[in-house]
Amino acid sequence: MAAAVQIETVNITINDIEIAVPKGELIVEAVKRLGLEIPIFCYHPRMKPVGMCRMCIVEVGFKQPDGTVRKMPKPQAACTLPASEGMAVYTDTEMVHRDRKGVLEFLLINHPLDCPICDRGGECPLQNNTLFYGPSTSRYVELKRHAPKAFPLSKYVTLDLERCIQCGRCVRFTEEISGDSELAFRFRGANMQPSTFELRDFESKFSGNVIEICPVGALTSAKYRFRARPWDLETKPAVCTVCSNGCNVWFDYRVGKMVRINGRTNEGVNEEWTCDKGKFGHEFYNSEDRLLTPLVREGDQLVPTDWARVYSDVIRAFANGGDKVAALGGAANSNEDVFMLNRLMTGIFGTKNLDHRFERNLVTGVGEKLGVSEVQSTIASLEDAPSMLVFGTSLADELPIVFLRVRKAWFKNGAKVVVAHHAPTDADSFAEVILRYKEGTEAAVASGLLSLLVSAGKAQVPAATADAIKPFTPEHVEQLSGVPAEKLRVAAELLEGAPIITTRSMYNQASGVDALEALAGLAMVTNGKFNCYSLQANAEGATLLGTKEGMHTHQILNAAAAGELKALWLVNVDPFALYPDRELVQQALENVEFLAVQGTVASEAMHYASVVLPQCAPAEMDGTYTNVERRVQRMRPVLKPKGSTKPGWNIFSEIAVRLRPATPFFNPGEVMAEIAKENPAFEGATYDKLPAEGFVIR
Amino acid sequence: MSVNLVKGVVKPILAGFGITARRLKHKKVTVMYPEQIREQYPRTRWRHFLTRYDSGLERCIGCSLCAGACPARCIYVEAKENTDTERYSPGERYAVRYEINMIRCIFCGYCQEACPTGAIVLRKNFELADYKREDFIYTKERLLEEYPGQSDEPFKGHYATEPAPVFQG
Repeated sequence: MAAAVQIETVNITINDIEIAVPKGELIVEAVKRLGLEIPIFCYHPRMKPVGMCRMCIVEVGFKQPDGTVRKMPKPQAACTLPASEGMAVYTDTEMVHRDRKGVLEFLLINHPLDCPICDRGGECPLQNNTLFYGPSTSRYVELKRHAPKAFPLSKYVTLDLERCIQCGRCVRFTEEISGDSELAFRFRGANMQPSTFELRDFESKFSGNVIEICPVGALTSAKYRFRARPWDLETKPAVCTVCSNGCNVWFDYRVGKMVRINGRTNEGVNEEWTCDKGKFGHEFYNSEDRLLTPLVREGDQLVPTDWARVYSDVIRAFANGGDKVAALGGAANSNEDVFMLNRLMTGIFGTKNLDHRFERNLVTGVGEKLGVSEVQSTIASLEDAPSMLVFGTSLADELPIVFLRVRKAWFKNGAKVVVAHHAPTDADSFAEVILRYKEGTEAAVASGLLSLLVSAGKAQVPAATADAIKPFTPEHVEQLSGVPAEKLRVAAELLEGAPIITTRSMYNQASGVDALEALAGLAMVTNGKFNCYSLQANAEGATLLGTKEGMHTHQILNAAAAGELKALWLVNVDPFALYPDRELVQQALENVEFLAVQGTVASEAMHYASVVLPQCAPAEMDGTYTNVERRVQRMRPVLKPKGSTKPGWNIFSEIAVRLRPATPFFNPGEVMAEIAKENPAFEGATYDKLPAEGFVIR
Repeated sequence: MSVNLVKGVVKPILAGFGITARRLKHKKVTVMYPEQIREQYPRTRWRHFLTRYDSGLERCIGCSLCAGACPARCIYVEAKENTDTERYSPGERYAVRYEINMIRCIFCGYCQEACPTGAIVLRKNFELADYKREDFIYTKERLLEEYPGQSDEPFKGHYATEPAPVFQG
């Protein structure tokens, strides 16, 4: 936490009420302190004000020495007006009301009255402001501007140009927040239109956000198009489980069906943004491929059966299996699921063969080896870092929301970002230094950086390490990796105290592990923070709660392929999709005697399954997920479980009870209490203590 | 004694018949329902209909405003997009499913009031009794007017074929 800073305040009056606000705060924000609201269109709290729509006009004056207020002759835009000493703001005068009516009448000159078929109708700022502040009729009888309806900007975003009020929020979003600058205004006056360059596809990785921030129905979602009206929808808070960022979202549903996902504010995680993968990645809830009943193999086919049959088959195959049985997966399941799986495998079946990792190199984690945590920075803390090293990852693809924070740190605070990757990434656009190395030479570059800092005498490292990195002079690194020595030197200069951001995809690279070790060392010598972020919804939880003994994924698959395994359990994972060696997976699944496949949606592994256990989707069950920064967040059930699906923890607990009668857990809250008892790190994550914004494990 | 009998019994009976006899020349107020059906008042609100334009296109655009206005929450609308080859209503949007739960409906007429295109109207057909609860769910097929066009071929509408979702109001 930053120390409390003395904030300079100024005294202003708002509607004759005296109030002290921070100097320079925009009036549109300052009035919120009094619970007042100024109607806005173009202003967005997270973007720079532009004063384009003139909706936020207020009357402003200054206190004169004799105590009277001298008003400015014309109203001012509150969104571009910083508070200063003695300012008197009036938001509720005759003039303001009249002028707001005028502005709205202007905005509505060309806005079509197709609210009944507009997807924004019912939650539209233009509708609301017109209702509260606008004129009841228009004096314009001229023909409105016409443009093609429903122009597809991309496969996600539809543009209805007629509805655009030219506020520029979308254009500013792509310039200021997502940084891809995909959208810009073309033409002038009434013909001004937001569009992509040469009408190419709007290919931003964050394009879904412009749908939410558009104050009219100009930009609408192609997926949500005509699916429902806002008043048809029920909304509950949820956590996105598509990747490991754990974004907070609103889950909108109608008659038990997922309809759309919107961003929910959590300043610690996603602020209010979502990425396209998350916003449009929940379609599987309505998928035809959802598993609804337990299946059992009869000959060539999987036939529907009941849970009792599946349980007895699983128990026959796994009970007393010892080292002959194994389970893979769980990184997409909740903490409670992972814990119960672990307990079932180790406690009841007596095996420690359990792994959720599918990377190429499954050595002991670098953090564990060096005794440092692999997650040291929270997402929010990246914002304040003066410099950063993003190493070996295309952040916008792997961790979109972390990417937005890194970019915000650069955009708002001028952070100097060093980007090292073998291919061009989105972060290059704002990088201070780009280290483009040849693929496979990560270790050389990382060691080169470490070597530079050590040889400059900036840090002390153990003699063995010093010897190991000595050969990696900038010139030698240039030869190996193609990164110019000068660039490496410049980058090394910037790294003092810098958070290092990399992801577990580094374990897929041949020299990734060496690179990670060098990076962890780098963080130690620069007093920086080492972060090797994981990539699946609950990979962190699975790491914290899983067992580290027993066989890892390679060994399990190899043993299965050699026919040494009696039974294998795939827990909500499709190894065909995740594991690099497809053939080994196929051999393993073919040769294992008994294959239990647990999942939400039909997967390729199901073709080899002996039994299939249908598990309900994340939003259909209660549970907590540990995100990339080890923030435990609870997702309450939004929908009812489909068919006869069950939550994962329930499946594991019911099997355990059949083998060793004991009082079972009745709800995930009890499981979490048990987790906290066994693993003190989760102490603050029990359901009675867990705050709404989540609990960060440190 | 006899005077009392006349005064107390016969006279009132005759007086009573007198009233009946006088009433005989009044107009009858009862009708032989169901053979005869009384004309309803002009603003009577009973059964809903989804109307069409003269061109045969449906007026309903699937905007769900009726469902939003409905105090009984008895209307369910699902919309879809018109294409040039499959066009059901003039604009971009049409109702692929339109259901009214007549058991819940209180015939307040708010839906008619909310409708921006005058598609849903409450008319005078008041014989809404039925035998099965399911039959009170009026689907779009039942609500939509016959096509009044010149052609002998009835207008072929398009209706969702899969079973309706469970109505949760």
